[in-house]
Amino acid sequence: MLWVLTRTEEILIEYIKKNQKKLYKVAYSYANDEEAALDIMQEAITKSLENISQIKNENYITTWFYRILINEGLQYIRKNKRIIECPLTENERDFSLDVENRIEYLDAYSVIQNLKPKVRTIIILRYFENMKIDEIAKILKVNTNTVKSRLYKGLQELKECFERREKNE
Amino acid sequence: MNKLQKAKKAYESINIPKNLNQVIENACARNRYKKENKKYVPAFVGTLAATFAVFVALINVNPSFSRAVENIPILGEVAKIFTFTEYHEESDTNLIDVRIPAIANTGNSDLENRINYEIRAKMNEIIEEAKQRAKEYQKAVLETGGSLEDYHPIVINMDYEIKYSDNKIISFVITKSETLASAYTEQYFYNIDIQNGKELNLRDVLGENFKQLADEQITKQIEERKKNSDNSFFDEEMGGFSGIKNEYQDFYIDKQGNVVIVYPKYTIAPGYMGIQEFSIAHFI
Repeated sequence: MLWVLTRTEEILIEYIKKNQKKLYKVAYSYANDEEAALDIMQEAITKSLENISQIKNENYITTWFYRILINEGLQYIRKNKRIIECPLTENERDFSLDVENRIEYLDAYSVIQNLKPKVRTIIILRYFENMKIDEIAKILKVNTNTVKSRLYKGLQELKECFERREKNE
Repeated sequence: MNKLQKAKKAYESINIPKNLNQVIENACARNRYKKENKKYVPAFVGTLAATFAVFVALINVNPSFSRAVENIPILGEVAKIFTFTEYHEESDTNLIDVRIPAIANTGNSDLENRINYEIRAKMNEIIEEAKQRAKEYQKAVLETGGSLEDYHPIVINMDYEIKYSDNKIISFVITKSETLASAYTEQYFYNIDIQNGKELNLRDVLGENFKQLADEQITKQIEERKKNSDNSFFDEEMGGFSGIKNEYQDFYIDKQGNVVIVYPKYTIAPGYMGIQEFSIAHFI
């Protein structure tokens, strides 16, 4: 039985394969665990391919895939709340950092991990994935002002957390 | 460097698992394979010749597949109708445990042969594909520096359950699972009108109004399930439930004679919600 990929499927699969490392990091930022991050990737791919017929405009594919991936990530957090509340203690080895910077960098990262998932998502997309505000708005299906205000709120919160940590040090 | 930049450095340094590429390849391939099966089901009668060819080819190409076949009748009421083929296979790539049902003693041997071929051919194909995936996975483990000891054989399991049976209708489900990145289960539903020798669809068991009836019931039951905050369903734009597609939707008939529509994992709700079943109405 021959099975031919449709054009949209081809574009999506190629996009995922090409950007797998990037997409994996997004998944990992929700899971804080290798295996769970792989599961999130897998579920996002399965879901997107199953529902690909909904995509009418090819330009929209990557945005759409990001949305599904993020939803899977948020879903995972919701489901595993208790498990992932104290990240980065046991999974240090999931990061390849120099010994000298290790503690400092992971500490900064863990502050971001302690933000609420929705706020954290925006910080990660904006500053780590370098996305534009309107791109993020499209992915999350909210208007740009909502993204801006959440981003602002997130940054305020981060600033406070960073300052608090410094005082404690 | 400020703290945000430091956090970013940590984020960028997240290790990429060796099997990421493999997991992605599998996820993409898996969908392709699902899609083929979907096309396959409604063409029940027409593809007899084709499936027969596949079945024969499988036996010829892969001698290990034509193993000792046991026919053990099940005790009790269903003994009249059901037998099954059972086998077990072990290799360093996979452990396979299979029970495939077959129907017998219906008084219509043409029908029996046709249905039994169809089921066998399809299940053989599914198992071959699962074995192929296991082989590819093993290869990937070895190629990325893993040793044979690191590799746990993939467990492929196939079994069936009789949902309903009387002298007119039989309804059963075949469940296949394989453990790869995470356990993965698929179900195949068969509802057969023994007297007329045809596979039943929703129109046959619920009548002309089947779609309205099913849509109403499913929507109502999803709302009911959502009341528990542990449960969640995709909304419509995320690919959630937006009405059944057609009369070939998966279903079975339960012991009480109710038509139960089944949505596999991931289709209308997140993975953790599992398989979703909706009892619609008593069949006609």
